[in-house]
Amino acid sequence: MDFGFSEEQEQLRRQVRRFADERCPMDRVRELMDSDDAFDKQMWASMAELGWLGLAVPEQAGGLGLNWEDVVVVAEELGRSLLPSPFLAVTTAARAVDLLGSEAQKAELLAPLAEGTSVVTLAFFEDSDVIDPDGVATTATADGDGWLTLSGTKMFVPWGQSADKLLLVAREADGLSVFAVDSAAEGLTVEPLQLIDTTCRAARVSLDSVRVAADSRLGAAGQAWPLLSRALDAGLVALCAEMVGAADGSLQLTTEFAKVRQQFGSPIGRFQGVKHRLAEIYVATESARSLTYYASWAVDHLDDAASSVAMAKEWAAEALDRAGEEGVQLHGAIGYTWECDAHLYYKRGRLCRNLMGSPDYQRERLLAAQGL
Amino acid sequence: MDFSFTEKEEAFRNEVREFLAEHHDSEGVRADGADIESAMDKLPKLLAWNQALYEKGWVGFSWPREFGGSGGGIVEQMILKQECGDARAPILGLSYMGLAWVGPGIIQYGTDAQKKRFIPPILKAEEHWCTGYSEPGSGSDLASLQCRAERDGDDYVINGQKIWTSLAMWAQWMILLVRTDPTASKHLGISCLLVPMDSEGLEVRPIKAMNGETPFAEVFFDNVRVPVENRLGAEGQGWDVTKHALANERSSIAEVTALHHNLDDLKSMAGECRLNGKPAIEDAGIRQRLARMQSTIEAMRLNGLRFLTKQLRGEPIGAETSVNKLLRTEMDVETGRLACDMQGGHGVLTGKSPGAVQGGRWQKNSLSWPTTVIGGGTPNIQRNVIAERLLGLPHDS
Repeated sequence: MDFGFSEEQEQLRRQVRRFADERCPMDRVRELMDSDDAFDKQMWASMAELGWLGLAVPEQAGGLGLNWEDVVVVAEELGRSLLPSPFLAVTTAARAVDLLGSEAQKAELLAPLAEGTSVVTLAFFEDSDVIDPDGVATTATADGDGWLTLSGTKMFVPWGQSADKLLLVAREADGLSVFAVDSAAEGLTVEPLQLIDTTCRAARVSLDSVRVAADSRLGAAGQAWPLLSRALDAGLVALCAEMVGAADGSLQLTTEFAKVRQQFGSPIGRFQGVKHRLAEIYVATESARSLTYYASWAVDHLDDAASSVAMAKEWAAEALDRAGEEGVQLHGAIGYTWECDAHLYYKRGRLCRNLMGSPDYQRERLLAAQGL
Repeated sequence: MDFSFTEKEEAFRNEVREFLAEHHDSEGVRADGADIESAMDKLPKLLAWNQALYEKGWVGFSWPREFGGSGGGIVEQMILKQECGDARAPILGLSYMGLAWVGPGIIQYGTDAQKKRFIPPILKAEEHWCTGYSEPGSGSDLASLQCRAERDGDDYVINGQKIWTSLAMWAQWMILLVRTDPTASKHLGISCLLVPMDSEGLEVRPIKAMNGETPFAEVFFDNVRVPVENRLGAEGQGWDVTKHALANERSSIAEVTALHHNLDDLKSMAGECRLNGKPAIEDAGIRQRLARMQSTIEAMRLNGLRFLTKQLRGEPIGAETSVNKLLRTEMDVETGRLACDMQGGHGVLTGKSPGAVQGGRWQKNSLSWPTTVIGGGTPNIQRNVIAERLLGLPHDS
């Protein structure tokens, strides 16, 4: 019985925090968010060198063979610093390849992914924006011997505009399949989405009769869902960790402001109207943290972690949304300015709240999982 | 992270299950909250349960063996509580406040003579305790208390008043905070005394609560004499003793088993009640609230496990327990409200009314939450604790 991180994991956390402080302080976050692709390739190469991109990738495939808990440690610290990068996208894609792919496919896809030379992302969502197999309308139809044609439109593809490879989820006669496809494939168009939070990137990917080889399919035809849903849940836990980190970052920013901002002859943090709201954010963030850490263990150790993941998302989304909103409010007018960092956390909250299913959706999912 | 248990811990779990199979009559004695009168009806069975537990060493499970405890570890204690909770067995020992904070306080601050005198009757449920903290002018600002104790030879002479004293009518003893040095600063002038409730000059006047029960009382002291040897801790150390006690209260209040039982009961009721012409469980708003309750209870469970891990690693825990106390507050109010909302118009019917749902159980629940919500420090005091001790914000005054 031990619900905490090991000394190695705490070292990893310190390493990520130091890296983010040195390589991506808020000035750099702002430069990147105003840039075209928000993607710092040198920083990405350093992250790969430190082993972070292949944390949970098996050692024989070029990774460190660690657990999802370790991914969550890194994601939380990246969230705290709002460091822009496709870390979540690539880590989630790696999980999908690891769960679904053959040994040969793993060797081919995961080694360059862990080395940082190939950005891979999972394209699952469409008009349907929740983790539900019935929402996949993109089709894969046989097109001659050993070939298929993919048609449809993928939405909310994380960092799709920076991806070298896409894991495209499409429907075949028997169910869902996942295809690893080059982003330069003919008939495949990537359009950047304009997100409310510009420290993150996502794309719409249109598939107009894209021809793919049958051996680009990960796993058996139409059988992807049980394992794919596990990869999506793992990705969602990592997103929760980012949110918890960002909520903590926002809380810290606002708390420090409340200690120094003087009104009525006193730091505003002395007033209960201020301190109680900060205390409530603390309660929400710590609870989201407990749920997220447990969910990170659950995706590695339980057959069905969906309920744990749903509860983590519900709380993480509400903690960050609250921390972001109160952060803007408690700063007063300065909080409404572009110059103050409060809005950066608020925007991250607005983005993450709705990605992969809103809190309302997660609550419904939790009850449905119990047959209610 | 590791959520598994050792072989020894699993063996202990089996031992608890065997004990429950033998001693817990789930029909006769159910743990269903703070309903004093129904607890009194069940008293003979509860005493038999306490005796069986005591013989096993499981009342005061974590207390040292020399005082009749088991010297049990934190994980085993969690297993014990979890198994008893799952079986809906009564609480582990009947001397509620004695076990929750008087006993731990005496073990930490008491003299050998006090330990020998007071610990065994708590374990055997022979003596019950009440807690004399709050006064009419000292609630949230507890350290401003005015009840006086003056030295007179080998005695203290107590004058003043306490209020909101739960179970004062049934208790044999009171753990009492008094001001022994009016010249010292407000926290340093306080001492803690152990006072027999049958002392001359001590008067108990029950107070009726909004749920119609009389769970607490006013207690008046008119020249009440207690020997100096009944002081717990040094003179002027009363505030430290209390902080220790309240930390114990905040963590003991945070246990989630009872909340789980309520949630299970609400879920089954949602299938039976009709709301707006359909089963309540089909109502989108009710569904959201049920799910929210479940995830909140799960958050409390996991917060508790994180605190427990800190304890296992020998790290101090203090103010963090206020997190669960605040979540608990939300749940305690929402439970009765949600239950009554599910019943629609029938939600207004109490007790023996024609048409009352489940004997008015939830209406009573919705009138009883202040015991846990206000007792042990109001929600706003918990928010102060978090803001000041964990976030480092400046004190109110």
